[in-house]
Amino acid sequence: MNATLAIARATFGEAIRKRVLLIILLVALLILLVTPAFEVLAVREQKTILTSFGLGIIQLAGALIAIILCINMIPQEIERRTIYTILSKPVLRHHFVLGKFLGAMQTLAFAFLLMGVAFMLVMYLTLREIDPKVVKGLIMFFFQSSLLAGVTLFFSTFASPLVNFFLSGGTFLVGNILSNFLNTIEKNPQVGSMTRIPVQILVLLMPNFANFNVQNPIINPEQQLTDETAYLVQTVAYGGVYICLLLVAAVLIFNQREM
Amino acid sequence: MEQTVIKTVNLSKRYSGLWSKTTVDAVKNLSLEVNKGEIFGFLGPNGAGKTTTIKILLGIIYPTQGEAYVLGTPAGDPKTHFKLSYLPENPYFYDYMTGEEILSFYAQLFGIGEPERSKRIKELLGRVGLSRAASQPIRTYSKGMQQRIGLAQCLLNDPELLILDEPTAGLDPIAHIDIRDMILDLRDKGKTLFVCSHQLSDVEAVCDRVAILKNGEMARLGKLDELLAGGTVEMIAERVENGILDQLKALGGQAHLHEGKLFVQQPDDDSIGAVIDLVRKNGGRIISVLPQRRSLEDLFVETIQGGKSA
Ligand SMILES: Nc1ncnc2c1ncn2[C@@H]1O[C@H](COP(=O)(O)OP(=O)(O)O)[C@@H](O)[C@H]1O
Ligand SMILES: [Mg+2]
Repeated sequence: MNATLAIARATFGEAIRKRVLLIILLVALLILLVTPAFEVLAVREQKTILTSFGLGIIQLAGALIAIILCINMIPQEIERRTIYTILSKPVLRHHFVLGKFLGAMQTLAFAFLLMGVAFMLVMYLTLREIDPKVVKGLIMFFFQSSLLAGVTLFFSTFASPLVNFFLSGGTFLVGNILSNFLNTIEKNPQVGSMTRIPVQILVLLMPNFANFNVQNPIINPEQQLTDETAYLVQTVAYGGVYICLLLVAAVLIFNQREM
Repeated sequence: MEQTVIKTVNLSKRYSGLWSKTTVDAVKNLSLEVNKGEIFGFLGPNGAGKTTTIKILLGIIYPTQGEAYVLGTPAGDPKTHFKLSYLPENPYFYDYMTGEEILSFYAQLFGIGEPERSKRIKELLGRVGLSRAASQPIRTYSKGMQQRIGLAQCLLNDPELLILDEPTAGLDPIAHIDIRDMILDLRDKGKTLFVCSHQLSDVEAVCDRVAILKNGEMARLGKLDELLAGGTVEMIAERVENGILDQLKALGGQAHLHEGKLFVQQPDDDSIGAVIDLVRKNGGRIISVLPQRRSLEDLFVETIQGGKSA
């Protein structure tokens, strides 16, 4: 555990010095700060729009950071040969993979904290209130991007960074719209089981990123939750289980890998 | 009895490309044993398979065939890694960290806790001469300083076995000597060193035994003294007649007279007795008989360029 945490800390230390990630973070922060300048809407709408837009920017930045951070995480260690000294210590490969993932999560937490604070500050200054939904939204998007980090790290055990960028990005897009697509299909009586069942299986297998979008009133306008807390806990638990499975699969592949 | 620290049995490694059909037999049927307390030189030109062998010993890659044991356990057992250390070829470290931080990072991988950790780091930084650069980022280190931090990283766990891949590559002569002294010092402390190099002068000065690898195969293996012995023997004599030159040449060596002195060079010391007898019988007086020890470089070049089926 000591080794895993040391690897996580080193990963975080390196990540927050990466120029690409800092630029993404900076651009996101900049957009968040100038959002209130677009004051064209009535106050009631302004709140909805501001919330959606701000959370959307944060979600996008989180996803980009997760992918760009994780596509290179393992390939770069091999390319720079830093992994050789690490694996020559009493470190098991699963310590390494887990440490890398925890480092990615720490980086995301850092990014979300910065963006979240900036966003809430902007909200408070323009609306004189902070909608608790924003906090919940931030938390859910943090877990969403952590799940995406898990997906990307899994792919990185066998795919090159460029291929991985499209694999992970594609998975993220599909995982965001797939369950809506399934809903549409299920409501439509004309769609037979020949189409429905494969989509259902796909929804079951693919990481369901849409679950985490609950706080976005534009993306999920009709979502009415009876027990919101239970739903949030459930979704986070889903993400946790999915991440565990991804990490196990990543370790199984990585154990066979030659460097 | 001598303890075996590294043992490989018919070790082979074939790299096969995932997409292409090209394969490389980087190591072929390599069998060797490294004994406790010795400095073992693992030599060979670039591409001979040295690094590949080391990576197998560390469990970073897996052999295609054969077996490898390190400190009595099959290669790659992480528990064994508490007792060994590895300095890679051209080591690279997280360069945003300071020297102190990187050592702390590696110490944590060994599970070395405070206050022991800080104490050991301070001591090692002093030992490799980096005390003053301890809080500078590694980014600012010279090649020699990086190699030193690499060595310090190797000593954190007070290992029984050190595996050093090209430890002096790219260093200036002073740094060479420093590293050579450290290697000898470690041997004196009872450590076993497996040193991979094509820097022959360094190896010649320190190694007890060497293996020379050629295209993945073992070409030479033995005690350095024995491998370098068996060179030519030179004899100088005087008061000899021109007539015995042909008789001498028949004994397999070269002979010539120069200003009244006879110079004979025999390919090995087996035949030198017959040469001496012949010269004495003809009334000659022997001035000197000198075995010419070969240099490691001669042996190396001879091994690598010589007979294809060495
Ligand atoms: N990952 C790899 N994939 C394919 N070939 C490799 C790989 N690593 C090394 N080789 C090849 O294996 C041979 C031995 O390489 P190496 O062990 O690095 O030699 P050395 O350390 O003695 O210079 C070389 O021909 C090299 O090109
Ligand atoms: Mg090499």
